Amino acid sequence: MLLVWLSFSGNAQEKAPIAKDSLKPKTERYGLRVGVDLFKLTRSFYEEDYRGIELVGDYRLTRKHFLAAEIGNEDKTVDEDQLNFTTEGTYIKVGFDYNTYQNWLDMENIISVGLRYGVSSFSQTLNSYQIYNPNPYFGQSPLIISGEKFSGLSAQWVEVVAGMKAEVFNNVFVGFSFRLNRLMTQNKPNGFDNLYIPGYNRTYNGEFGVGFNYTVSYFIPLYKATVKAKEKKEPKSKKKKKKAN
Amino acid sequence: MKKILLLLLAAFTFSGCEKDDICTDETTPQLVIEFYDVSNPTTLKNVAGLKITGDGMPTELNTFSGVSTIKLPLDVTGDSVKYSMILNSSSPTNANEDFLQFNYARNNVYVSRACGYRTIFELNSPGGVIHTDSATPDLLWIQSFDVQTTTIDTENEIHLKIYF
Repeated sequence: MLLVWLSFSGNAQEKAPIAKDSLKPKTERYGLRVGVDLFKLTRSFYEEDYRGIELVGDYRLTRKHFLAAEIGNEDKTVDEDQLNFTTEGTYIKVGFDYNTYQNWLDMENIISVGLRYGVSSFSQTLNSYQIYNPNPYFGQSPLIISGEKFSGLSAQWVEVVAGMKAEVFNNVFVGFSFRLNRLMTQNKPNGFDNLYIPGYNRTYNGEFGVGFNYTVSYFIPLYKATVKAKEKKEPKSKKKKKKAN
Repeated sequence: MKKILLLLLAAFTFSGCEKDDICTDETTPQLVIEFYDVSNPTTLKNVAGLKITGDGMPTELNTFSGVSTIKLPLDVTGDSVKYSMILNSSSPTNANEDFLQFNYARNNVYVSRACGYRTIFELNSPGGVIHTDSATPDLLWIQSFDVQTTTIDTENEIHLKIYF
């Protein structure tokens, strides 16, 4: 009977009322997790027109809530049919993650949804462009080399984040996240457009964007807190039933 | 739940791509000319066998018949174009050639990711439109013309009215 009871309490620790017995109170670790986005880092190697780095961090506030932030720098050259431009700048995103995953025992995996507010400061250089001429009776214009630089640009946006992190070995986590971005405000250059925003990525009509990162991070435990069992007042008959088992 | 989220994400991604990868905006405009009856200047008049060729071009632009509005492309690499305009070009006896030269300044303006840039034109004022007869004088078939606007940035308006 003791075995059955133990396995029961292991499976549904949160729900089962903790009986006054010899079970140790459950503790969970709180601390800071810092890491780097491998997706941006590897892209910098295999993509000639891209250089980027993103540092990620989160701090566990409550059992389920994490204060989260990303800070990064990107330098990307985009070659479109009609345009070629380079965007360079720095961004920071701050927000929170909510862990929806019920961990077994003392595992610390995370499947989270969250929100971020992102701010980016960047510049754009228009390298070259084409004139779109649908009636080229006199011929098309050759590629026009510009080199015009638009500085002091900025953008702010909101991200909805869905992600997961798993502890692969002691305190080392790998994880990934998908992001849906919604541009709030932007400071557009005069005579050009923000077609790529560092941190936000490519801009689309309708002001929506998408993002992805793949992170490896290290958890620095700071303190432990005891998990408070939820006091559930169950009818006596139910308790009796359980004991009868 | 996760699958739905992924699908949603994919839908967002592709709905975003579709729209702005094809150039659908108005780009480099042409010069729009409307023809009027010289004896009744408020009435539109259709042209017949109007053969238009850019000066020095190996092929004609078009031969217009039964229309009162035509569009002429301007050169996005130069600041002037000259068109030979032969009315009744199919008739050996009635054909009449006039020349119209357009002098303008160009300005390249940003449109969108898919379209890139476009050129808009500003006709010189004065001297934006110069009307001359053919090398072998055959009288002018264009009686007069009237520049409506010197700024050519859309084809949704008339830039030049010609009376004949």
